[in-house]
Amino acid sequence: MATVSERLGYDPGFDDDRLRLAWYAVLGVVLLVGAYATWLRIDQGMASTNLSSVTPWGAWVAFYIYFVGLSAGAFLVSTLSNVFDMEGMEAIDRDALFAAIISMVVALLFVWIDLGRMDRFYHPFLWRQFTSPLSWEVHAYVAYILLLIGELYFAIRSDLVRVAETVDSWRGKLASILTLGRTSMSEGAIETDEKWLTRLGILGIPLAIFFVHGGTGVLFAVSKARPYWNSGLFPIIFVISAVVSGMALVMALYVLRRKLFTKEAIDRDLLDRLAKLLAAFIMVDAAFTGIDLLIAVSSLELETWVTIMTGRMAWSFWFVMVGMGWLLPLVLLSRESLRRTPWVMVLAGLSVVVGIVGVRFNIVVPPLVVPVMEGLPFGNYWPSLVEWGTSAGIIAVGLLIYTVGAEFLPLTPLEEDS
Amino acid sequence: MASDPTPRVPDVEGGEEGAESTTPDPQPAAKPEPAGRVSGPTPRVPDVGALDEMAETEVPDPKAELEKADHDTELGLRMAEDARRVSRGELTSEAFWARHDEAAAEEFGDDYRETPNPAVDRMDDGQTIHEAAAGELSCSVQDLDEIDPAAKTDVAEGEEDVKMGMVIDLQNCVGCDSCTVACKAENRTPPGVSYNVVIEEEHGAFPETSRTNLPRPCMQCENPPCVQVCPVSATYKMEDGVVNVDYDRCIGCRYCSVACPYGARYFDFGEDYDDEVMGAGEVTSPEYGVDRGERGEQSSPVGNIRKCNFCQHRTERGEEPACVETCIGDARNFGNLADPDSEVSRMVNSERAVQLKAEEGTDPNVYYLR
Repeated sequence: MATVSERLGYDPGFDDDRLRLAWYAVLGVVLLVGAYATWLRIDQGMASTNLSSVTPWGAWVAFYIYFVGLSAGAFLVSTLSNVFDMEGMEAIDRDALFAAIISMVVALLFVWIDLGRMDRFYHPFLWRQFTSPLSWEVHAYVAYILLLIGELYFAIRSDLVRVAETVDSWRGKLASILTLGRTSMSEGAIETDEKWLTRLGILGIPLAIFFVHGGTGVLFAVSKARPYWNSGLFPIIFVISAVVSGMALVMALYVLRRKLFTKEAIDRDLLDRLAKLLAAFIMVDAAFTGIDLLIAVSSLELETWVTIMTGRMAWSFWFVMVGMGWLLPLVLLSRESLRRTPWVMVLAGLSVVVGIVGVRFNIVVPPLVVPVMEGLPFGNYWPSLVEWGTSAGIIAVGLLIYTVGAEFLPLTPLEEDS
Repeated sequence: MASDPTPRVPDVEGGEEGAESTTPDPQPAAKPEPAGRVSGPTPRVPDVGALDEMAETEVPDPKAELEKADHDTELGLRMAEDARRVSRGELTSEAFWARHDEAAAEEFGDDYRETPNPAVDRMDDGQTIHEAAAGELSCSVQDLDEIDPAAKTDVAEGEEDVKMGMVIDLQNCVGCDSCTVACKAENRTPPGVSYNVVIEEEHGAFPETSRTNLPRPCMQCENPPCVQVCPVSATYKMEDGVVNVDYDRCIGCRYCSVACPYGARYFDFGEDYDDEVMGAGEVTSPEYGVDRGERGEQSSPVGNIRKCNFCQHRTERGEEPACVETCIGDARNFGNLADPDSEVSRMVNSERAVQLKAEEGTDPNVYYLR
């Protein structure tokens, strides 16, 4: 076991200063572009988008459900350690929790920018509609973010205390503030941390599955006007694909952070375990999607499916969703030697992470291209530059928060079996 | 107090102000701000403010008027001023009487003491005037409905029995689109927003062809999916069955638009016809009875969802929706579906009557005659 003091010597940030500079420079440029696009969005209103009354939801909603899914998935991965005590998983639970929080923040930024009246973002807390899934979701998201922050706090508190006690720099002071004054390192205090971590995790599982992500699926599934969504299987596919994307992200982050930040050895057994789980979930996701297609075939509601598979945007289905989301990662995850090769797993993880973006776009857009009544116009949607720019900016905000957090927070457990 | 033979204003000299007036304050207090009204540009009810100002100029000078009377002009002005405060809710009626009772009694003497004041002399039996005093003044004290049965106003009954509905006779529709044009002119909808469209389709191959024209306003569903999904309850059914949008509450999430099986909801992207028509946005329609003045770039309904509301601003003054009034083939019929004797009810009972997408369970209040 590496000693604690040895680990405290490290700077949890970038190992390579040039890499750090380059990364922040890239983020800075994207943020500037995003800021300009956001200004255009605010100044010109929704006219700056390519949305229409036929296709009222587009890229922003697709990214919103994507990041909600990423968050729910990452959180569920964290419970493998916090609730189910799966061996070796504690190495990734903080990464998973932190990514889950940031994904949720990013998701809410996407919902916000999508509102026709951004200034009225607080209205859902003043007025409610019992029968509206969106009304419920807004509350679930807030509860979920608070729960995640609570979890992360209990997960890293003892390490924050260790940092505060041994590091003199401002980093130690920051850690001291973040402990919120609970600095006891007694066995009892640490036990309390673990107890609450488990409790919040247990509470969080139904919250994440049924409310946060299942509920986001329900948001679409209740829409009887859109047969493609109106299926009982839909929320389940939502949750499965959330787990797929969350797990892929956590796996990629695990490798990237150790390679680029901490230069610590990568636990190949853990990587292998994660990769197997990911492969299993990808197969379940593909299978359920296939079942959904069968339901559509037998209920003769095929118009949207035909649009997805043969329409103008069919490439996003075949190449992004099927190719990057399912086939490529399944090939990469198929052999043990590949599963134990970190860079291959980063590739597999990122491929899934991008592939699920295709899944989300194909959930939101095609059903809104097909008109609800014969004779009404078809939609024709491709995001405008403002939509792309703001999306890039919002994602950059998430990456910035993650990077800054990864540089300062003890996301790698200080006490770890080496 | 009810047995007091001489009704008069409460004696405030007794010390405890308002101790005697345990009855509810009948003074019409100024209307409180409607709960939940959002701050921001306050929408106006059409022209009332302007009308008030116009009326103000017609009012005679109070001082000049009071000087014509024998009594104290200053007292009259003071009491009138405070009476306005009471009606604005800035002053309680108890405080009003505490301030003026004594002076008024002194000024008007016995006449004042013997005249009942309906504002404070409400009896336990609900009457605002004592029977003895009423007799003296030759007033009747029965229930208003007993005095004049013809004027009987049973509000609840009237409201329950209205369900606005429309019946469109497809055999009479010639597909001229004048309903769409009339709707745009009436509601002054911006580009991309059209509460009504006519779906026109041709079927068959020459020479066996037919054509269907299907006008599509909002169906004003009995079970509206749009209302069900609105996260802030900004859209709701009114008592007459019309589905309404509160532009001051709507956050513009467009969930309702996605949920509508008829494509009847339109998002206002803020565009205008200024390129085609000079000053196109200067006049807007007082939708839902609210005049929002000139069309702003970022103010509601820009950024909100918009929809047909059966021209509520017209129906509430007894007119038909613009599309009904303009229809050249008289294909559109409008009326009260709750009244079994109405023309629309009779049409709905016809075998030709159908609803669009009945399988959705929305139960539209717009019917079509095949």
